[in-house]
Amino acid sequence: MRVVNWKKILLIIALALVVVYPFLDKNDYRLYLANRALIHSILASGLVFLTGFAGQISLGQAGFYAIGAYTSAYITTRLGMPIILGIVCGILLSLGAGLILSIPSFKLKAFFLSLVTIAFGQIVYVLILNLQSITGGPYGFFGIPPMKVGQYYFDNKGYYYTFLIILVLVILIIYRIKNSYLGRSMFAINDDVIAAEVCGINSKQSKIFAFALSASLAGLAGSLYAHLAGFLSPEPFTFFESSNFVAMAVVGGLRNILGGTIGGVILTFLPEFLRFRGWENYYLIVTSLTVVLVVVFMPNGLGNIIFKLFRGKTHSHAIHKEITTLRKEKEGGTK
Amino acid sequence: METKDILQNLVSGIAIGSTYGLIGLGVVFLWQSIERINFANISSAMLSAYLFYTFYSEIGMGFFISFVLSVGIVALYGLGLRYLIHEPITKRGGGRLEFVVATLMICVLWLNVIIVFYGGLPKPFPPVFGKATDFVRFAGVSLPVVYFYIFLVVAILMAFLHFLLRKTLVGKSLRATAQNKEVAQLMGVNVNLTTSLAFMLSTTVVGIAGILLAPIYFVSLELGGGSIGIKGFSAAVMAGLIDPYGAVVGGILLGIIENFSTLFISSTYRDVISFLILVAVLIFKPKGIFVWSLHRD
Repeated sequence: MRVVNWKKILLIIALALVVVYPFLDKNDYRLYLANRALIHSILASGLVFLTGFAGQISLGQAGFYAIGAYTSAYITTRLGMPIILGIVCGILLSLGAGLILSIPSFKLKAFFLSLVTIAFGQIVYVLILNLQSITGGPYGFFGIPPMKVGQYYFDNKGYYYTFLIILVLVILIIYRIKNSYLGRSMFAINDDVIAAEVCGINSKQSKIFAFALSASLAGLAGSLYAHLAGFLSPEPFTFFESSNFVAMAVVGGLRNILGGTIGGVILTFLPEFLRFRGWENYYLIVTSLTVVLVVVFMPNGLGNIIFKLFRGKTHSHAIHKEITTLRKEKEGGTK
Repeated sequence: METKDILQNLVSGIAIGSTYGLIGLGVVFLWQSIERINFANISSAMLSAYLFYTFYSEIGMGFFISFVLSVGIVALYGLGLRYLIHEPITKRGGGRLEFVVATLMICVLWLNVIIVFYGGLPKPFPPVFGKATDFVRFAGVSLPVVYFYIFLVVAILMAFLHFLLRKTLVGKSLRATAQNKEVAQLMGVNVNLTTSLAFMLSTTVVGIAGILLAPIYFVSLELGGGSIGIKGFSAAVMAGLIDPYGAVVGGILLGIIENFSTLFISSTYRDVISFLILVAVLIFKPKGIFVWSLHRD
């Protein structure tokens, strides 16, 4: 008798659910949240790439997100250009900012770099508040056109499938990079910069690339958000949003290609699930407390646990474990 | 531009800057001992300000008791940070990044706790440091009384810390641990104790800074997020993250620069200028701008 592979069937059912989800759920608000979750997943995937693969920290991701959002909004609303051009410009401008921000990363180690990125995010935020002629400042940016194909203006369903396709493409791109020369050299640098450079790997090049990619993904996410929401205010671009994005990447799992997606979806929906009747006031507390607990007690993220359920202990998992123990020894041994 | 304006900005810059220095001091103490940055550093300021508000205005205890109680609770919170956050992460093999994310989320957590229990609106700080309308006037310059209280408290605190670090055995072991943990341990320093002490000192000084800043910023969420925390990081970075005296001097420098950039450039971009200073120092002088601090003893 043939053994039924339940895990495979479960996986297929899960994928099918993701595809038909907009037709199952009639709640428009939840669908809007799902769209936000997809946007967050795109951004968090970029962060997983930057942090998990290339070993750099960015706490200013909301800055790139804001640059993408406001650029696309400005180009489509004030200049009347097509949306696709707005999105491309949003990506390019964030890419430029990412390239500039990658310069300090040559010299600075983890904590110092994170301070630079915080400063970057705060500078962008102050600029949004004060450049009122461009951004509308605290009054907001109104009237951003929704996406459309021909005469069909996108509703939440349309956005869902667009964003889903973009997310899948993003993951595919990251997957390809991960298994290329560039990706492998990033892992090498992440493990030991000096050893990697001795082997002839250009560490500057891969740091620039990692920053550029994660910045342009954040810009892409931002410009998609601008058209989804139709209205921009400074609130989603604060420092706390940046830390939320990092939390998504960490909760999802940093060495996991789907980590960004898992973290993005969980952290977007978690606050909504926690709004129990009578306990509405506490949902924000519980959300941040949950993230703290996950980070403290499951440093490898929830993504790895989900994967473990599916795959059991695989070969690559064992190698990863060995690497982490080695690194721990190294960190403890050297001062 | 008159000398009067310059003097006024100088004094207020030093006063505000010295509180930035205290916040930076919190960063420095922790970095010295565990080489981590607590991104929830500034939360201690907000916590102590709200605790002080509760004890003094709502319960009606005396000034001194409220002050000691709120700072004491914040010190204990520092100990909690060590045993509930730092130790479990280290035990489970989490690295720097996990500490970064955990502390960031604690910062968000405290903001949410305060919003739930106190509401988002700022509370008036009780006039323990003189009323907002009390000014000291001399030579044509008028300065709020609160600045002089800030000078007073910071001076007493610095004298105490100087005494602690230089003259007592505990302080000496703290400095020894900061220089080299392994060697200090071999010399019989109780590293466990100094680490706890570093955590407590770190939250305590920031807590005191919070109570000092409350008359200026009100008892508000501004104290637990926003730009003040980043200015504290700037102050610490100016000292290369290792020198307590440098952090205070750096904070004062930052306060002065900030005030004069408001005076000469524009008040809207005041924060941008101090963040740019942070970036510039990190890129060009990652070891701090006070060279003397590295070659001291």
